[in-house]
Amino acid sequence: MRKLTTFVAAAALLGAGSAAFADDTKIGVLMDITGPIANFIPPLQNAANLAVKQVNDQGGLLGGTAVAVYGDTTGTAQGAVDAAQKLVNIENVPIVMGSLMSGTTIAAAEAAIIPAGVAQISPTATSPAMTDLQDDGLVFRIVPSDNYQGEILAKMVLADGLDKVALTYVNNDYGVGIGQTFQAAYEAAGGTITASNKHEEKKDSYRSELASLAKGEPQALVVIAYAGDSGGKIVRQAIEGGLFTKFVGTDGLRDELLIENVGADALKTSFFSSPTSPAENPAQKTLHDAFNAEYGEGADKAFVDQTYDATFLALLAIEKAGSTDRAAMAQALRDVAMAPGEKVGPGEWAKAVALLKEGKDIDYDGASGNAEFDANGDVGGYIGKFVVDGDGYKQVEIVE
Amino acid sequence: MIEFINFYLFPALTIGSIYALGAVGISMIFGILRFAHFAHGDLMTLGTYGILAAAAILPVNPLLLIPFGMVLTIVSALLVDRLFYQPLRALPTIYTVISSFGIALVFRSLVQLIWGSENQVFSTGVKPPLVLFDTIRVSVLHLQAIVATAIIAVLLHFFLSRTRTGRSMRAVADDPELAEVSGLDTAKVVRWTWIIGAALAAIAGAFAALNTSAHPNLGWNLLLPMFAAAILGGIGKPMGAMAGGFLIGLAEELSSYHWIGDDALISPSYKTAVAFICMIALLIFRPQGLFKGRLL
Repeated sequence: MRKLTTFVAAAALLGAGSAAFADDTKIGVLMDITGPIANFIPPLQNAANLAVKQVNDQGGLLGGTAVAVYGDTTGTAQGAVDAAQKLVNIENVPIVMGSLMSGTTIAAAEAAIIPAGVAQISPTATSPAMTDLQDDGLVFRIVPSDNYQGEILAKMVLADGLDKVALTYVNNDYGVGIGQTFQAAYEAAGGTITASNKHEEKKDSYRSELASLAKGEPQALVVIAYAGDSGGKIVRQAIEGGLFTKFVGTDGLRDELLIENVGADALKTSFFSSPTSPAENPAQKTLHDAFNAEYGEGADKAFVDQTYDATFLALLAIEKAGSTDRAAMAQALRDVAMAPGEKVGPGEWAKAVALLKEGKDIDYDGASGNAEFDANGDVGGYIGKFVVDGDGYKQVEIVE
Repeated sequence: MIEFINFYLFPALTIGSIYALGAVGISMIFGILRFAHFAHGDLMTLGTYGILAAAAILPVNPLLLIPFGMVLTIVSALLVDRLFYQPLRALPTIYTVISSFGIALVFRSLVQLIWGSENQVFSTGVKPPLVLFDTIRVSVLHLQAIVATAIIAVLLHFFLSRTRTGRSMRAVADDPELAEVSGLDTAKVVRWTWIIGAALAAIAGAFAALNTSAHPNLGWNLLLPMFAAAILGGIGKPMGAMAGGFLIGLAEELSSYHWIGDDALISPSYKTAVAFICMIALLIFRPQGLFKGRLL
């Protein structure tokens, strides 16, 4: 009897993921639901779900229902490969939206998604390594590369009057990418890095690293790491030890968890860079209104715009291709995202489908930008400067 | 010198305390039940969240709520032993080891299911460190962790050497067949092994989470160094596991001190590796571990 119950339970679990009807069209959504950026994820799942819901409310995908199939990378390379294998080989999705961390995105792309010939579009993977990926033109992202964020961050730090800083970055695709670009750009522009080191994630104490970083009287500490892991611990331990009072972070550190952890007072003088949307973008307002109408709040959270846009673009690409043929996805994605064509914005699914039915070309301009891919599947973009405001963050400046 | 004490020695002793408390359970289970308990890290996580749950209701110092975490881990450990490990005990131990891997995943998933996968902190804000003699700056929490571990070590020593149950435990660890024929109550010994291991796991989890933050992978990330500590100290020797925990913690943190010149002796990126090199080196020259534990 016990065996039977176990079997039924296991079958129910397996079945829950793949209970699909004939008219369903699946889209793979790969996210780092657990792991170092877990705190970012809930609003992003809402963003992806919103795109799918709008599609289904406005006539559906390929005449049927669109279904988002989630995979959790657990925030690790191995977990990303496992989850992506499942999406492309078992769920047979034609296109994958995700994932969010650079490391998991690249691992999933190289080991599972590219070999399967599936197109992939990441909303937030910022590592420069994505640009040179041997991807047969299959991997896209709608967030600017760290080469870009690193250079802008260097300008921002100098503009803030800081010409001597210490730098620490996490030893993964994200940290190394942005850290090295920052260092090169900052030193080329006349700044001095008093000490720099690469640190490992998942340690409990970074005090020995901090002790060596504090030498040489730096004016601030530049931390390129995730708030949910090493980044948050480094800031906290630096303050506890009285080593640094001013911090400069990137999008990985700009997490409400950091404020919860060390308190807003301790971060008064610190600032953060993060990819953002152009000012006065009507598409962004449309999305935020729809998002808050559906979920009550959270439209202004980090990467909601990018995640929604990436999901909506992936859905448009399937509709454009007219089938779930994997080979057609990458070209279809370029077709719907890039000029020329009739402009389509967030939520305008019925309009897009009607235009495609008439045989017209469309050009999606999203909440996060206009998604014009270059040959490597990269986009240019906007970087915002953020400061702490109460228990959230406030954008004070946009650099293009 | 002051820098050494403030930024290297105290943090090293704190990490060492956490490893030591976790390693005691691993070592005792290894010695008495004869299998590598891979769910021990996640048992720590479970205890941490038990304390977190209590902290949400009772707004007092989280350290006072540790008993809630201990009750949760003890009950879970005894239940898991009864339901999953005991039926496999007659089979080769690899079955139990693999089963404990499964239990580790169950614990972690339960924590995610009930409390969510986000990082959670016990209290917001940074507490100023305690300043002694105008120069030594030590975090109150670190001092609490180190002192608590020292007290636990003394109590554990007395329990194992002076009480009847403690002595039975050592006897079973040293020679299970002999202990059985001499009429020792093995079931009771097994029960006490879980109670002590699980209680200490909850304390270790609490200090680890207070030192940083609570998240579902908290214990799993600490599992490897705790195993290293248990093996270093000698399998089945709780005092050895304590010493092993402190040694691993000290080796990790102190290897990156600038012993020679101005640069770190070994880049902090490699500090985990240093701990394992110490363990391997010791095992080559003294395979039974520091305290003459069982040979694997």
